[in-house]
Amino acid sequence: MLKVHNLRKRFGGVKAVDIDDISFEQNQLTSIIGPNGAGKTTFFDLISGFTEGDEGKVFLNEKNITNSQPFSIARQGMVRTFQLTKVFDRMTVIENMMFSGSNTKNDSLFRSLMKLSTQKNNENLIREKAFEIMKDLNIDHMADSYARELSGGQKKLLELGRSIINDPKILLLDEPLAGVNPKLAEEILSIIQKLSDQGITIIMVEHNIEAVMKISERVIVLAEGSVIADGNPEKVRKDPKVIEAYLGSGNE
Amino acid sequence: MTIFLTAGSIYLVFILNEEGPLRILFNLLTFAGIYGLAAIGLNVHFGLTGLLNFGHASFMGVGAYVTLLLIPHAAGREGEITDTGLTFFPALVIGIIAAALFGLLLGLPAIRLRGDYLAIVTIAAAEIFRLLVRDLESVTGGVYGIINFSESLQIYKPEFLISFSERFELNSSQMWVGLLSWISIFLVLILLRRLTNSPWGRALRAVREDEDAVRALGKNAIWLKLQSFMLGAGIAGLAGVFLAFNYGSLQTTTFVPLLTFYVWAIMILGGVGSLTGPIFGSIIFWVIISETDRLAQLIFENANGQQLAGVRFILVGLLIMLLMIFRPSGLLGKKEELLLDVKSS
Repeated sequence: MLKVHNLRKRFGGVKAVDIDDISFEQNQLTSIIGPNGAGKTTFFDLISGFTEGDEGKVFLNEKNITNSQPFSIARQGMVRTFQLTKVFDRMTVIENMMFSGSNTKNDSLFRSLMKLSTQKNNENLIREKAFEIMKDLNIDHMADSYARELSGGQKKLLELGRSIINDPKILLLDEPLAGVNPKLAEEILSIIQKLSDQGITIIMVEHNIEAVMKISERVIVLAEGSVIADGNPEKVRKDPKVIEAYLGSGNE
Repeated sequence: MTIFLTAGSIYLVFILNEEGPLRILFNLLTFAGIYGLAAIGLNVHFGLTGLLNFGHASFMGVGAYVTLLLIPHAAGREGEITDTGLTFFPALVIGIIAAALFGLLLGLPAIRLRGDYLAIVTIAAAEIFRLLVRDLESVTGGVYGIINFSESLQIYKPEFLISFSERFELNSSQMWVGLLSWISIFLVLILLRRLTNSPWGRALRAVREDEDAVRALGKNAIWLKLQSFMLGAGIAGLAGVFLAFNYGSLQTTTFVPLLTFYVWAIMILGGVGSLTGPIFGSIIFWVIISETDRLAQLIFENANGQQLAGVRFILVGLLIMLLMIFRPSGLLGKKEELLLDVKSS
């Protein structure tokens, strides 16, 4: 579904990402772990179009999306979230959701100027869908609050909700549990599990090893930009290289 | 409070001017209308989309120059009348479109820049525009400017305005420009009200909040920013035309960066992101600018003209500072939504 070939990126003298070949299978929940600075977020930036790689290719459903614009990659069904939550602070929660649910045609200056009835119908459909998702995420009671009034965990939920409103095929989650209290983390995990059960391919960067081992079908370990282990959680957990490079470092 | 402040500042005009307060009032209301219109355009850029545009004067300039060059006018040293055969309103439409296209032209390379970087590029581009216009003497009249163009607009002046002006000893030509600029404000606000409450307006606000998130959600942020840039530039172009007609002659010195900063001050006073804010901001601003001389004369009896002129900027600065402390979202800004802050990343 998603294939990466010889992907490399350097920042000055530092090798940020150096990956020969990885492919992600449809409907699998994959986690990418690794010590800080291992290149996890850079890897996300590369495949989602936010950073241009030095070399290598990225294929989404056999289509070459290397160096495509982020918006075009998102339109092809691969949507990402950010390590530092990026909600639209000075817009309401429902506006956040509806902006994401609306497409370029619906957003167009011409349609907005003419106030076409098709746009109104679209908006109603989007609003319905937004409320459905917000209910699932338990943030529907905050619909008319400004996003910046939400707690950190609720912002994570909003960002997640915003990402799934267009039914993506692949979801790239960058630390969905970071800075979230354990109870809410549990909730977010079960939501991620549910999304995966619904058939969305999920690739997740996460530091919470417990959580990763619990829900992932596959775990990839990065260190200094390269893959040092790849397989099911049990296998990765026992890999001596992983223990040395990551778990053994004792700070996670 | 805003209405009170505005009414109070207008009342001030009557207190301070025993002779001909109406004439002074309508003079400053004309300026307030024109600058308010420009500030509404700037608010599309900054308040709605978060674009730090410091080249607003150039958009006003493009609108003014293109329109005036299309109607009968005299440019340059020789002062011969040139006529392309176009009447005022089609020329105005072309002028507005030209300003919007200038926005597109400037935006194509520059709009990718964020925050303060865009500010630097726009202020530089505005200066390049002004110097270019000054040096292209054969077309634009250079430092000699453009004159004898007012008739194209004044032939449409309605009868009632002439009789009204005569009765109160007002300048009917200026009244006509002022009236048109306030009508334009009204129409532009109706248009913007429609647009800001639409999915398009929502998308622009999303760009203002976080461009990366917009891109990650499948929207072309660059194109949205360009559209906003063009719309605001077009509104500025319209204001620029009225500014030229209000002066009766067009000089390159009109479009110095100071013009841009006046418009910024007005927008901040009125409330960043508020649709009607710039109107009130503009009236209060112009009362301060035009009346501080007299006010200061009452306080500092021995001050000379130059010293008095300085006082007005001290007052404007003081007002903006007080505003930032007590009402950081401006007079009409929504506190929850529209604090004046700039994200540079």
